[in-house]
Amino acid sequence: MGAAWLLRRLLASVAIIFAVVTFVFILIHVAPGRPCPETVERAVCEELKRQFGLDRPLPEQYWRYLVALAHGNMGNSYANGRPVRAAIAGTIPFTLQLAGAALVLDFLLGLGLGIYQAVRVNRIPDVVLGNVTLFIYSLPTFWLALLLLLVFGEKLRWFPVGGASDPVLCPVVHSLFCVADRLWHTALPAATLGLVGAAGTARFQRAAMLEVARQDYVRTARAKGLPERRVVLRHQLRNALLSFVTRFGLAFPFLLTGAVLIETIFAWPGMGRLAFDAILLRDYPVVTGTALIASVVVVAGNLLADILVGLADPRLRVRAPTDVEVVTA
Amino acid sequence: MQRRSFPSLTVFLILVVAGLAACERRGGCTGENCGTIIDAAVAEPGTLLPPSSEDIVANDIDEQLFLKLADVGMSENTLGDEDFQPLLAQKWEWDGPLTLVFHLDPRARWQDGQPVTAADVEFTFNAYNDSVVASPFRPKLHRIASVTQRDSLTAVFRFRERYPEMFYDAVYHMRILPAHKLRPVPRDQWRTAPFGREPVGDGPYRFVRWQPAQSIELVADSTFFLGRPGIRRLIWRFTPNLQVAVQQAIADEADVREQLVTPENVERARAAKQLAIYTYRGNVYTFLSFNQRAPDDTTKPHPIFADREVRRALAMAVDRASMVKSALGDLAKVPPGPMSALLWIWDPDIRQLPYDTAQANRILNARGWRDHDGDGVRDKDGQPLAFHMLFPTTSVLRRQYALLLQEQFRAIGVRAEVDAVEGAVVNQRVATGKFDTAILSRSNDPSPSSGIAQSWTRAGFGGSNFGRYDNPAFERLVDRAVTTTRRDQARALWRAAMETLNADAPGIFLYALDNVAAVHKRVDNVQLRPDSWAAVLRTWRIPPDRLIDRDRVER
Repeated sequence: MGAAWLLRRLLASVAIIFAVVTFVFILIHVAPGRPCPETVERAVCEELKRQFGLDRPLPEQYWRYLVALAHGNMGNSYANGRPVRAAIAGTIPFTLQLAGAALVLDFLLGLGLGIYQAVRVNRIPDVVLGNVTLFIYSLPTFWLALLLLLVFGEKLRWFPVGGASDPVLCPVVHSLFCVADRLWHTALPAATLGLVGAAGTARFQRAAMLEVARQDYVRTARAKGLPERRVVLRHQLRNALLSFVTRFGLAFPFLLTGAVLIETIFAWPGMGRLAFDAILLRDYPVVTGTALIASVVVVAGNLLADILVGLADPRLRVRAPTDVEVVTA
Repeated sequence: MQRRSFPSLTVFLILVVAGLAACERRGGCTGENCGTIIDAAVAEPGTLLPPSSEDIVANDIDEQLFLKLADVGMSENTLGDEDFQPLLAQKWEWDGPLTLVFHLDPRARWQDGQPVTAADVEFTFNAYNDSVVASPFRPKLHRIASVTQRDSLTAVFRFRERYPEMFYDAVYHMRILPAHKLRPVPRDQWRTAPFGREPVGDGPYRFVRWQPAQSIELVADSTFFLGRPGIRRLIWRFTPNLQVAVQQAIADEADVREQLVTPENVERARAAKQLAIYTYRGNVYTFLSFNQRAPDDTTKPHPIFADREVRRALAMAVDRASMVKSALGDLAKVPPGPMSALLWIWDPDIRQLPYDTAQANRILNARGWRDHDGDGVRDKDGQPLAFHMLFPTTSVLRRQYALLLQEQFRAIGVRAEVDAVEGAVVNQRVATGKFDTAILSRSNDPSPSSGIAQSWTRAGFGGSNFGRYDNPAFERLVDRAVTTTRRDQARALWRAAMETLNADAPGIFLYALDNVAAVHKRVDNVQLRPDSWAAVLRTWRIPPDRLIDRDRVER
């Protein structure tokens, strides 16, 4: 893994992002539907389409979009007139907050459970946890969301049923109380995303730990008489973490796609909900803008995972020209 | 170890949050005019600029920010001017049959301190009428020739013709705009102008903040010239859909959900001990529209629905009363034509086609639609009596109705395919005539004149007469009804028009929902005007002994 490899990956990433933007732009423009409500008169709708530039040929619209994009301009939302850049920028902190909380829960819980199961492999705790994680992993995310919402929001009233903050006490974060209020509002949506993710991570980590346990160096460590804790943490876990880093890269698409549903169910003001609403309203610039940002995040996440794997595994630090392509799922 | 520490951590966090909450909820407002009302809204407005904002939530918020010259009263009578309530206009008089003169209240002020003047009224009319602004209200103002200022407090409206709803047209569709704020903004940039997101109004509430995808907050203007509003703070909290909005009201995170829509939601809201339920007349009706032109070529007649007798047979095959009872219980009525219960022309005695499947079968047989090949579906010249029913996927109620209709049509040998697509696709397909039938909803403003004409006469071709219903006899009756000044005569003419339309069966009028609202029990003097529930929100109040934490919060 060297500079040439990194450059190749960066160029490939740019090409992927460009392809995604092109694909989404064409798809949303040729999809049936019009960016006007049913009740708007046709003449009014035509005037609006003229103002949005939708009366021009599609290649011209695409070219204009690319030129504007090259200048950092993602256009204005048809629905509310706001610059797309500002609309997305306003939602990213919320999506990062939700995804970050979910990621922490996912990895801490998933990693812990995976290790716990691996050291008790085929015993009752492993079998029970294996079935529980499989059950949670197979649950549709929206179903778990509704269940948590009903039990902990509506019935027990331990957590808010929606929104990112209390609109009376904390419309903006101006005190420590409001930070806590934000976290309190994050609890249910993050738990929904995090629990499903943790179930997958636990299964992944258990398998990786067991795979490493069969390696000669682990057997040697045990034969040397090292304490079991040290064998597990130093030799087994350390090597099993390589696959965990790969999973880190894969978590981004899951969190972003999951966020669309979760943000809608929990009225969370993030990018997923923005994209979902924009698709329904045929708000083309916002749809394309959110697709662009999402593809950047996913590609960057995967690139970061690849770099981390390369850094963590000395066998992959091979310099060009005998460069070894790092392959991740 | 882990099993014990995780709940402990949760309890610890809850205690921390509760502790911080206790610190935050200090003293605060305790007397009259202290309340806070949170509305659980099902959508976020695009803009708060009145000529560009047609959506319902924007209208609710604009009611608090921008005044009209006058407004309809709780009677919803739109004829003449006697039932209208003065707002910006202190008084008015007729100067001849085509000239209406408004005298503005000299106490009226924009919230930046500037006086509201007749120049603002003139500017407003010109803006609403400018095609560049692309206001959805523009077609409703076409009978007003001009608006001018006689002096700073006198605005003069001149009409093109004389008709009974002249006053209504002059005041209902336009909210007066601050010319000094908007004149410098090019009109083709109004939709993106910052004013639409930080408006300066002249109403009972001032704009405070807009948190995108979260909420809009207004605060009472204590110096409002028509009297201080009873509630201090109003917050519209945006949710992505009805279920989430209802859930927020039930969980006591919102005080108002103005439309519960389904019987299940009403039951859930009734079970929430802090909520009171209010029923008021609905302004929406839903119908199955028959497209009378071919979907692939709108210049040609539809192979099935161009035939009036076939449409009548299909209408007779549907037991609308039973459908309303099974799907909506007491929450809706069968509309006696294309109207909601809001309209004063609503009359259950209007003649409609009966539910009579035997007669429906006879008509279809007589028109040559018989089951020649024994497959259970009628056919004629090799073409089956089959069509698609279009509706948006997001409407659970319309899906339910589509399935019920499918069964009822199947019973008379007609195959109806359910065609559920996205709302934006429904809009495009009905607007371009690419459908057989569609389950559509229409909301009425308080006047039958504009809505019915736009949806059911030739004037609505290319507009909202999607099925292209065309009957000159019906149009003559409508023309006479809208120009008749006496209410009893107008009512009789509307009735005759509706009976003519019902006999032609351009659609099947399925249900007209009553509105059911859930409002927190601590709120007093709750009045909900059927065409706009928030129109008199400034008169609501919360007595000091019923205040809760969120009412007292000072920031």
